[in-house]
Amino acid sequence: MDALKVLDLTKKFGPKHNPFVAVNRISFSLKEGEILGFLGRNGAGKTTTIQMLLGIMTPTSGEIYYFDQDFKTNREQIMEHVNFSSTYTNLPWDLTVHENLTFISYLYQIKDRKNRIRKIVENFKIEKLVNQKLSELSTGQLTRVNLAKAFINYPKVLLLDEPTASLDPEVATYIRNFLLEERKKFHVSILLTSHNMREVEEVCDRVIFIDQGKIIADNSPLVLAKSIEISHINFLIRDGLKRLKKYVNTHHLASETEGRYFTVNIKEKEIASFLKEIASLGVVYDEVSIDKPDLEDYFLQKIKTGGIR
Amino acid sequence: MKLHRIFAVVLRYLYLFKHSLDRLSDAFYWPTIDILLWGLTSLYFQKFTPDASIVVLVLMSGILLWLIVWRGQYEITVNILEDLWNKNLINIFVSPLKFSEWVLSFFIIGIVKAIVSLIFASLLAFFLYKFNLYLYGFYLIPYFILLITTGWWVGCLVAGTILRFGTRIQTLAWTAVALLSPFSAVYYPLSILPPWAQKVAAFIPTSYIFEGSREVLEKGYFDVNKVIVSLILNIVYLVIAIYYLRKSFNKILEKGLVKLY
Repeated sequence: MDALKVLDLTKKFGPKHNPFVAVNRISFSLKEGEILGFLGRNGAGKTTTIQMLLGIMTPTSGEIYYFDQDFKTNREQIMEHVNFSSTYTNLPWDLTVHENLTFISYLYQIKDRKNRIRKIVENFKIEKLVNQKLSELSTGQLTRVNLAKAFINYPKVLLLDEPTASLDPEVATYIRNFLLEERKKFHVSILLTSHNMREVEEVCDRVIFIDQGKIIADNSPLVLAKSIEISHINFLIRDGLKRLKKYVNTHHLASETEGRYFTVNIKEKEIASFLKEIASLGVVYDEVSIDKPDLEDYFLQKIKTGGIR
Repeated sequence: MKLHRIFAVVLRYLYLFKHSLDRLSDAFYWPTIDILLWGLTSLYFQKFTPDASIVVLVLMSGILLWLIVWRGQYEITVNILEDLWNKNLINIFVSPLKFSEWVLSFFIIGIVKAIVSLIFASLLAFFLYKFNLYLYGFYLIPYFILLITTGWWVGCLVAGTILRFGTRIQTLAWTAVALLSPFSAVYYPLSILPPWAQKVAAFIPTSYIFEGSREVLEKGYFDVNKVIVSLILNIVYLVIAIYYLRKSFNKILEKGLVKLY
């Protein structure tokens, strides 16, 4: 069973005769226990889609189903099992963390409320913050409180808008592992947006790229990255940097230089001949490494080729 | 409707009340100032016209009863503003909470705070001027219900307008209900009003309550008809106001709740 199914979802703004189409007939599904990355540039239609999925924006047309139930007619029952967290929304500032979690917990039918709050506070390592007002917390601490709030109702579907933005790397890693753990234990289905492509590659089973309100790619991060032929070769040049630059320019290869560090983007199948040729030019390097294409490359290529404008 | 969800929203505002000194002062500060100011003024008048003892009664009664209308309206509009200022509407509406539960929770908070304020203010009036609000006896119950209902529908109309036009018109939250007070004849008989204003007052449910309450004080007579007219008008206006608030809410759902801030 799909945890979430979206059919021909559309959102138009503005006058009927000349509307701005923010989301244009997108269809996708989120399987039980799947983590789906929802990616795109700012203004691509991600937030609009998420708002419609949460029922805080009315779609112009299209259908949304959670657990095979129509969202339009079963919102109340469905939202018992769905939750959301975003870096860009706030819980009430003047309330303490504990008061916030308490009032939110009453919005859901949570059994053993006190234990659930205690557990969730432990999970997100916010024990020392429970009696502090939200106005006294740092951005990173607020993000953890928002995530704690999102997990409070044992959600079956979670919509996360940049869940690790503004977290330090250690906490961000902890949160990513926590998400993977929750999915493993409880088959939570997660749809997340992020600008951190490494994060998406690490946690997502599948990614959807959206551009100008349309889905332009839907596949696993690995497959999408593989569709890019370009690899990056990184050198620490000892001798022949000028010759190397000249060669790269002549062959119209993209490159970057920072001091003696030199990176060139080249098709994977051409790497061997490239290395041979620069050796024949007398280019000497102390270090060399090859980065395979990743999701970021895919994203950048799409921008370059006009897939994402 | 689920009680636990209504309780959740009420709890959220009670927590806020606990932490917010300015909200506490709203409940006690202004009633105290009004009672002191108008109580002393009426005592001054009484010096010149000794048989005007009714003046203290009428003014104190007006202040205390108007407090109910004000609190009913204020709690709806200011609590919605709190959610807008806190960018909290999204967190509330991604939960299973229904619109009707949200509105009902504001009504409940209004009742709770009106009762607290009223008890405080009535004790103060009794202590300072020997005015006993409870001389209305059981009549106070229908008066309370009808006055707070007026506060609710004004609150819903103002809240709906704020939702539509945003916080740039937020001053309405503090000022809107005052528009009704001259036509409600809170401190004077309706006959004092010019004819055109009397016609307007006929459509204001609170005018019947304040006129009726003065009759109780002056003649000991409780006019059921006035209560019935006030009830009918209140029901009609409340239905219209809730419909308007719902429509305004639907309107912002068209744009998306995120657009609110």
